[in-house]
Formats: sequence, C-alpha cells, structure tokens
Amino acid sequence: MWIQTWALMLDAYRELNARKLFWITLILTGLVVLVCATLGIDENGVTFLWFDLPLPINSTVVPVKVFYLSLFTGFGVSLWLTWIATILALVGTAGIIPDLIASGSIETMLSKPISRLRLFMTKYVFGLLFMALQLLLFCGGFFMLIGVRGGSWQPGIFLAIPIVLLFFSYLFSVCVLLGMLTRSTVASLLITLLLWFGLFGINLTDALMISARAAAQLNLQDRQESLDNEIGIAERHLDLMRRDGEPIPGEAGVPLAAGATNTLESVNERIQRRRENIPEAEDRLERAKKWEGRIFLIKTVFPKTSETIGLLERNLISDEDLDRMMPEEEQDDKVLGTMADKRINPIVQDTIRSRSMTWIIGTSVVFELVVLGAAAFIFARRDF
Amino acid sequence: MTTVDYAIDLTDVHKTYRGKIKALRGVTMRVHRGEVFGLLGPNGAGKSTLVKILMTVIRASRCQGGVLGRPVGDKEALGRVGYLPEHHRFPPYLTGAQVLDFYGALGKVPREERRRRTSEMLELVDMKDWAKTKVGRYSKGMRQRIGIAQALMNSPDLVLLDEPTDGVDPVGRRDIRNIVARMRDEGKTVLINSHLLSELEMVCDRVSILVQGQVRQQGTLDELTADQRHYAIELASDPASARETFRAALPGAVGLSEQSRLLMAPPDAPPEDGPASRAGLAARRHLREELPSGEWIEIERSTIRVGTTDPNAMSPIIDALRAHGAVIRSMGPHRPSLEDLFMAAVTTDDGHTLGPGAAEGSR
Repeated sequence: MWIQTWALMLDAYRELNARKLFWITLILTGLVVLVCATLGIDENGVTFLWFDLPLPINSTVVPVKVFYLSLFTGFGVSLWLTWIATILALVGTAGIIPDLIASGSIETMLSKPISRLRLFMTKYVFGLLFMALQLLLFCGGFFMLIGVRGGSWQPGIFLAIPIVLLFFSYLFSVCVLLGMLTRSTVASLLITLLLWFGLFGINLTDALMISARAAAQLNLQDRQESLDNEIGIAERHLDLMRRDGEPIPGEAGVPLAAGATNTLESVNERIQRRRENIPEAEDRLERAKKWEGRIFLIKTVFPKTSETIGLLERNLISDEDLDRMMPEEEQDDKVLGTMADKRINPIVQDTIRSRSMTWIIGTSVVFELVVLGAAAFIFARRDF
Repeated sequence: MTTVDYAIDLTDVHKTYRGKIKALRGVTMRVHRGEVFGLLGPNGAGKSTLVKILMTVIRASRCQGGVLGRPVGDKEALGRVGYLPEHHRFPPYLTGAQVLDFYGALGKVPREERRRRTSEMLELVDMKDWAKTKVGRYSKGMRQRIGIAQALMNSPDLVLLDEPTDGVDPVGRRDIRNIVARMRDEGKTVLINSHLLSELEMVCDRVSILVQGQVRQQGTLDELTADQRHYAIELASDPASARETFRAALPGAVGLSEQSRLLMAPPDAPPEDGPASRAGLAARRHLREELPSGEWIEIERSTIRVGTTDPNAMSPIIDALRAHGAVIRSMGPHRPSLEDLFMAAVTTDDGHTLGPGAAEGSR
C-alpha cells in the first residue's frame, strides 16, 4: 500500500513541478510578501521603501503588529489568497480530473491493483496540495515579516492555511465533480467560477435581506416608540387637566364642544394615525423576515465562502483593535453606506457574527462531502 | 466458476451500454496458461470491451468466471497481470524510466525489484538510450515499446496487449514478436488483440474470432482450418482448356458425375451467390461439391482443390490429368491463412461482410 501511495505522491510532485502555472503562482505569492515587506509604519505614518505615503494613520493609532496583521487579513488573505491565488490555483488544478480520466491514460491506471476510490482521493488531495504549498509560502513569509518588522511573532497566522484551504476545497470539489461530468478542463473551470460568483451574489443578497429586515425592525420599533410617545404626551396632558380640575372631553357627562380642536383632540388623532401605521410596519417586518429566512436556507445548502474566510479575521484581530483601526462612523459607511439609518449596519454585523462556526463550517463541509461523494461515485462506477 | 487451469476463463459475458447497445452478447472464452492467444474481430466487434472488462476499466453487465483463478476485478489477480492499452498515453512529464518505475510501483513492485526490472525492461525493448528522455518527446513506436515494457514491469503471469504493433515499424514489429515468443518460453500467457492477422498468425497458438459481440470461432489454427486444409493442383493451361481436361479426367478418377454443376459451369464463372470480387473461402463454398469418398472438391479457373491432407488421395487425380495430357504447373498442400479464416468468419452466407458489431437491441 505504501509503495503505491509513495508513487502517487511522487507523481503528484512531478506533475506539480511540470506545471508552469504552479511556479508562476508561487513566484507571484513570494513577490506579494516581498512587496508587503517593503511597507512600514512609524510615528510619522506609513512608508514604502524610503518614501512616506500620505495616509492618515501612524503607529500611535495602529500598532505595528496590528498594521501587518491587518495587511495580512485585509489584503493578503481577502484579496490575494481568496481571489487571485485561488483563481490561479483553480486554473492550475482544473485539469487534474479531466487529465486522469482522459482516454489512453485512465486504462493503465485502472488496470493496476489499486482501488478507484483511492486513486480519486489521491488526485483530489494533490489538487489541495497545489494550494497548500502557496499558502505555506505566503503564511511563512508573513510570519517572518510580522516577526522581524512588527516585532511580534504570530503563529496564529498559520491558521490561514487550514481556513483558506477549506475555502479552496469547497470550490475545488465542485471543479472536480464538473471535471468528472464534462471531462473538460475549460468547462469545469468556467462553471466553477460561475458558481463562485453565484455564491458571492447569494452573500450579497443575504446581507441585503438582513438589512431590509433590520430596517423593517427599526421602522416598527420607531413607530411603536412614536406611538408610545404620543400616548405619553396625551396621558401627561390628561393628568394636567385632572390636576387642574378641568372637565375632560369624551369622559362621562362632558360633551365634546362642536368643532373644537383642542390639544387633546389633535393628540388623539395622531395616536389613531400612528396605531394605524403599526400593522403595516409589522407586515413589512414579517415579509422581510420571510425573505431573510429563505435566503438563509439557500445559504445553508451552499458553501459559506466569505464567512469561512471571515473566521480568520475573527480569530486574528481582536474587536478592540478593529475598533481602533476603524472608528464607528467609518464602519457604518463601509457596508451599505447608502442606508440612511446608521443603526442598520451593527444589526447586520451582529447577525452575521452570530452565525456559529458549526453552521459556517459544518454545512459547507456537508456540501463539499456531498459533491465529492457524487464525483467519487461516478468515478467508481463509470466505464472508461 | 473459476478454474485454475485457465489463465482466462470467461462464461457468458454480456455488456450493454446505456441499456441499448449490446457490445458483448454472451462471450465464452478460455485461454490456457502458457499460450499466446489472439483475439480477432472487425472494428466494433467488442474485443477492446472484453479486454477492458478483464482489466476492470469497464464493468460487465453480466460475467462469470475469472482471471488467473480469481474473479474478474480481483486486485490480487490484477497484480499478476500486465496490460498495454490501445492508444495509451503516459504522463508527458515522466521519462521512460520514470514511467516504468511509476507503473511498476502502482503494480506493487518493491523498490529494489523495480530498479532492476526497469533496467531489464529498457534493455528488452531496446530503449536504454532513451530512458532519460521525457515520453512526451517519444515517437509512436517508442511509446509503444515503453508501453510494452510497462506491462511487463510486475513480471506478470498474464499479459494483455491491445494492438501492440500499432504504429510500430517492421523492425519494431519483429522485436515485439520476439518479446512475445520469449514470454511464451517463460511460461507466461499472452493475449493479443490485433488487426494485423499476419502478425498474429506468426505468434498465436490459439485464436478467438469475435463478431458482433459473440465468439464466432475459437481454437488452434489447425483446429479451425481442419475442414479447409486441402491439396491444390494448378494446370499450366488457360481456364477453358483446363475445364475441358477436368471434364474428361475427373469423372473417372474421383467418381464425380459428368453432369456435375462443378464441371458444367463456365470456366471463369463467378460464385453463384456472391460478387466476383469477393474472394475467400465463404464465397467459394458455392462451387464446392462432395465426392463419393466424402472429401470436397472445387474448381476455380485452372486450379482444382480437394479437401484432403492425404497425398495418396491425390495420386489418381494426378494420374488421370496427366493421362489426358495436362501439364501441371504446381501441386501441394494448402492451409487457409488466418486472414481467410477471419474473412470466412465475418462473411455471411450471402457474401456480405458483417459490419461493426455493437448490435443495437437484441437479435
């Protein structure tokens, strides 16, 4: 068994070695780390090589460690690893299954005393290895960078390896299934990218639905408060009238003067109007909740790409650091800046952050297992 | 039930694709240990499907029997089988030696043995000088040589070669024949699937002819040609004169009726039910008659053929022909070639060749 496993691993290495894209991606990853290393922060501001950059932050606002960590999560992971390096890795690995099952090559492999499942899983792991090596270089580079330049050794950044690898594995499993179905590298790559953008769309819709629900919730809350307010005003007015011994219109034996428009009457009207507004707001909230629930269900089925990556930020940068780096006003403007109500964004953030790690990773892994299982089943049963 | 006496023992193998196309329709085939077995058939007859079933590349719809005494698909048995697929493609980033090492390892050959076998196999297929060149740069013939070496890396008891001489030059073909002969001498069983009938004829002990997913004929060449072996006498005269001589000599010599269809037919008459261009045994069958002695006789232009392997049976005919002044150009025993046998198997009684065999629906 070890003979075969070692041979497959050696072959995987040789295949990696033969793929130009692998080396190109690796070199680019190294360059990105080097560029980040040329950035620095001191009391005067941010520097690039020997030049000062006109940015409104310095090491008194953002500690050097936090600066590099945020560079790592904000740029390195969010942009480089989860977009550019992932796309490059998908391009580099999309051909693994179509190449494996190509006529002329699969026959020799299947004729050997090795199970199809093992062969399939080895190839899958090989695809992940492609990404894992990029991650290792990137995290290793940043570990050194933060240690040497930031003066703080942060082994926590190696958490990016399993997290980004997990994120990549969602997409790669889809790519593998599509490769098995279409036998085409280009088709499987394009459809995987489409699905990825679809997931991005679902995430955006999810955030919008949460915002809509939060808006409806706040709206109802405001109307309720406004109603309570009016009632309070009316009650205070009545109390004053009672105290002064004035007859209260509408109460027993006190007729309402014809055409009278005293304060109490106008308050009554306003209360009435506000009461009428409540069911509409409740109805809107119900509808918003229903849509939020539907999108949540759809999200539950699909892999949670951005939330998975978000786990890294949750773990690496503390909330205090985050608040220091980004004042509250800015945070409000960052997401859904067009929303007039600045109370909405914290609700959205809280809702998203309240989703458990079990839900984020658990449901995504279930998706991956189902997709991978389907691909393995097809591979094990198909005639070649 | 599997029998250890056979390297391949298959009974009633069926393969139906997508519930419609019947590629194999009850194939029963037995290959003895230590023999070179040829699998023939027209394109689409199901040969490659059968080989792929043996190698677990394709799953049979129904299959009884096994390989090397184990059920089909048994991993232990697969470890003792070598396989050269048709149109194989090896990873282009590997060198010839690396290909052998990699597939040897997948065949569970230990490292030290692999090292030794790689060197031996490269020597065997005459590829030692190209061992460190990537296979992506190989010619077709070189790839085929490495493919054969790959199939032999695990010192298999059974080797399946699917079109081994495809794209190989005459020197290479001879080398491959020699390798096959050497394997037979070493007691290994070899199954060859090939279109090159003359190549097969030179190396095969037994053959099976597969037509439209069924075994049409199976046996040694001697067994399969037993009823086709004959003596032929060719006269050195034109067909018309020869026919006159035959009419005069044969009735007395072998007891053929003077009114026989054979003697009355025009000298250059085509076979009754087939086009004149369709040569081969099946097409000629219609001009054949049975003699009182039980042997068959046929006449074609200036040649007379008698279905016997006994030279004594020819003496009266030679004497009679000579007595009627005939000059004999040649005389001798004949055995149909594998090609004759193949053509007979794939030609229907009405002279049509059976096409690609993946018959749709049941027949």
